Amino acid sequence: MAAEKSTPMDRAASASDALTLSHVNTPPAQTWNYLRINDVSFDVPAPSPSSTGAAFNRLPQILSKVETGLGDEAVDWVGRMADGATYVEVPAHTRREEPVLVAVDDGHPFASAGVIVREGASATICVSASATQGSPTEKGASAPTTGSALRVICERGASVEIVEIVASAAGRQHLEAIGVDCAEHASAVVRQYALGGAKVAMGLAANLAGSSAHVELTNRYVVRNADLLDVNHVVRQRGRNTTSDLSATGVLLDDATKTMRETIDLIHGAKNSRGNELECVLVCGDGVTNKTLPTILCDEEDVQGNHGATIGTISPEQLAYLACRGLSESDVEALFSRAIFDDALAHAPEATSRQAVVSRATSIFGDAFAEEAAAGPAATTDTNVER
Amino acid sequence: MADIKDTTAGLGASQPASTEPRVDEKGRSVVDDVNRSLYDFTKSEEGYERYADGLTPEIVRAISAKKSEPEWMLEMRLKALETYHEMEMPANWGPSIDGLDLNNISTFVSPKAKQARDWNDVPDDIKDTFERLGIPQAERESLAGVGAQYDSEIVYHNMREEVAKYGVVYTTIEDALLDPEWEPVVREYFGTLIPMLDHKFAALHYAVWSGGSFVYVPKGVTVEYPLQSYFRLNAQGAGQFEHTLIIVDEGADLHFIEGCSAPKYYDANLHAGAVELFVKDGARLRYSTIENWSKNMFNLNTKRARVASDARMEWVSGSFGSHVSYLYPTTILKGDRSTCDFTGITFAGATQDLDTGCKVVLSGADTTASVETKSISKDGGLNTFRSSIVVGRHAERARATVSCQSLMLDDISRSDTIPAMDVRCATAQVGHEATIGRISDDTILYLMSRGCSEAEARSMVVNGFANPVSKELPLEYAVEMNNLIKLEMEGAIG
Repeated sequence: MAAEKSTPMDRAASASDALTLSHVNTPPAQTWNYLRINDVSFDVPAPSPSSTGAAFNRLPQILSKVETGLGDEAVDWVGRMADGATYVEVPAHTRREEPVLVAVDDGHPFASAGVIVREGASATICVSASATQGSPTEKGASAPTTGSALRVICERGASVEIVEIVASAAGRQHLEAIGVDCAEHASAVVRQYALGGAKVAMGLAANLAGSSAHVELTNRYVVRNADLLDVNHVVRQRGRNTTSDLSATGVLLDDATKTMRETIDLIHGAKNSRGNELECVLVCGDGVTNKTLPTILCDEEDVQGNHGATIGTISPEQLAYLACRGLSESDVEALFSRAIFDDALAHAPEATSRQAVVSRATSIFGDAFAEEAAAGPAATTDTNVER
Repeated sequence: MADIKDTTAGLGASQPASTEPRVDEKGRSVVDDVNRSLYDFTKSEEGYERYADGLTPEIVRAISAKKSEPEWMLEMRLKALETYHEMEMPANWGPSIDGLDLNNISTFVSPKAKQARDWNDVPDDIKDTFERLGIPQAERESLAGVGAQYDSEIVYHNMREEVAKYGVVYTTIEDALLDPEWEPVVREYFGTLIPMLDHKFAALHYAVWSGGSFVYVPKGVTVEYPLQSYFRLNAQGAGQFEHTLIIVDEGADLHFIEGCSAPKYYDANLHAGAVELFVKDGARLRYSTIENWSKNMFNLNTKRARVASDARMEWVSGSFGSHVSYLYPTTILKGDRSTCDFTGITFAGATQDLDTGCKVVLSGADTTASVETKSISKDGGLNTFRSSIVVGRHAERARATVSCQSLMLDDISRSDTIPAMDVRCATAQVGHEATIGRISDDTILYLMSRGCSEAEARSMVVNGFANPVSKELPLEYAVEMNNLIKLEMEGAIG
């Protein structure tokens, strides 16, 4: 880059040392290596040797034990790049009204956070990744790269809602790790939206350690151009009567590449537990590569594990029906994609994440999206968010 | 096919069924393990020719010389040996093969019996072996031809005249290599579908292969009765490395059945066979296997089929034996409108770690694949269903469905499903579903509300679970499979 480096992202991208994260998003059970589905690698800038913030802003040690789906190598890298971490504790039997915000963007490219939701408490956490849409970028380790890591512990009876929005831009890389530990009767409801970014890895692991713990994970994505999305979900069901419901729905356009790994691990002792996985992929591009690895690992008799995956395109019959209603094939594809953005906007709990969705959508669908979004419910004023 | 008067006259006589319910100390039904007493008998190796344990070029040369092979085959063997030593097993997936030491395995054991076409010409102990396994009887009643392999050599090979007159070739690979008419054909196809670089034990196979069958079915010929090869590994601390090569020419139709067994020893035995199947335009091939190796066997077998336009490949697979198994029959749907059906069941009991499944590559347009598998785990058995569906960029309108159901019969066993899908064509449709669990109490309640006893209900559920596989087999083999499963479902489970 010839221009003066002014933003933290630019400085990170121009670091003299690069680093390869070789085994990002590795699932617990791997398969044939020739399928190239066992992991993904990223060329990223190396952390600056002079960073010291992490020494003073470390998370409580207990949070470091929380597994994230991204893998220890990548999470450690994010932690070093973030040069510090934010810790939030939600007191017992309280409801935190303002979402905890973990946000990265061009000006603040890395973040690491830990949240403990004490017994009987509830909270909403928003993880947002955005970027300036349309700016030129480079590739590989010099590509603008952002990353965030969030680890959450839910104590007995606690509940957490996590909304994760990745609305990065063309030419950018993003790595995102989330780990959730749920104790007895705790629950985690996670909504993930992958809306943009040249190369994005999202890893999430949920550990249902206590009896009757529950996780519900909804993943929605739109991948276009030659972008790559790599997702790894791992649910460890250890306690009795635990339940997990994972669903992923997305649209793949142009020459997009997507890898989705979902693992339900029914561990010995998790009697009467149930795990469900469901994926539905709409393939709309001639150059699409879609890889799916839905895995169930079962070490217990008295459990139920189910998964299903459907991969396909809009049928000719459906297209004919829609055509007679005045919709072309490209209109239909746009409708499906737009629906995911609308869903993301509806679930974005605060202004930063909403703006991330709007910016990304506007770059794709035009100003109409922003106008419609502005005409929606009034934005709230977020005065107490954590960064 | 001749009418079957006696449904128990098949491979292996059935054991008299118990009429009394048996329950364990928790009041749960006792589900018998696979009944192996029929197979756990040994014969003396006295007088046999047995090559030294281990793998050296000298042993490979000796095997080749014994068969008087063409030079190209020896060169291939030596290259394969070199490749074997260079390759590694994958470190990040698959069961452990600790306990398998090739330095303690003899790769060639020969009973020194000439290949016979009449059972009366087969040495008594070998003949007795196959009599006990029901092979001659099955041949008389329901097969078009039989090849019987004992350790490293084919000891019996025969085909009905009425099949041979249509030009069907069913012989050993060794005999085909010595035949000027068929040697070029073998050379053209041998090792092309399963290259030696495929994996470490494919390389081993090509270094020391011995025995197996060569089958050619001419254009338009339908072989009404199945051909069968049966592999018996009697020798302790030995390996069996048969190679099966089948070419079903345009418009032809064949059902090929493969069976295998071995007595159990405390030493490891190894099976690293290879099956290459070529199904030409408009042809159909059904390949049925009942695998019943003993629990000291390491079964690293490779099977692959290439299917041309408008042709059909059917796999029926029952896996009941082995200590460790790596088994993934693969179908390449190369031609447009080619189809593949895979139906399989795997039963993993104590000390078994069975990693089985299938692979399908859909390359042609309008290809379809259907995979239905079942697995049962008990007594600490480890079952892994591993599959891959790969849809190529030009596989327009390809369709694939995969269904995997796993039944856990206790809480000390394990069942994993690891299905991978790689879809690169926008007009393809791929679906997958899998379930893991135990017998549903709701299902039992429903059946009981219709008048079944609890024992009957549970028996129906489990027998029905295995039925999709057994119904695909000829009746005698379905009987054998049910004997192998030998499920006695009376009383309550869980």
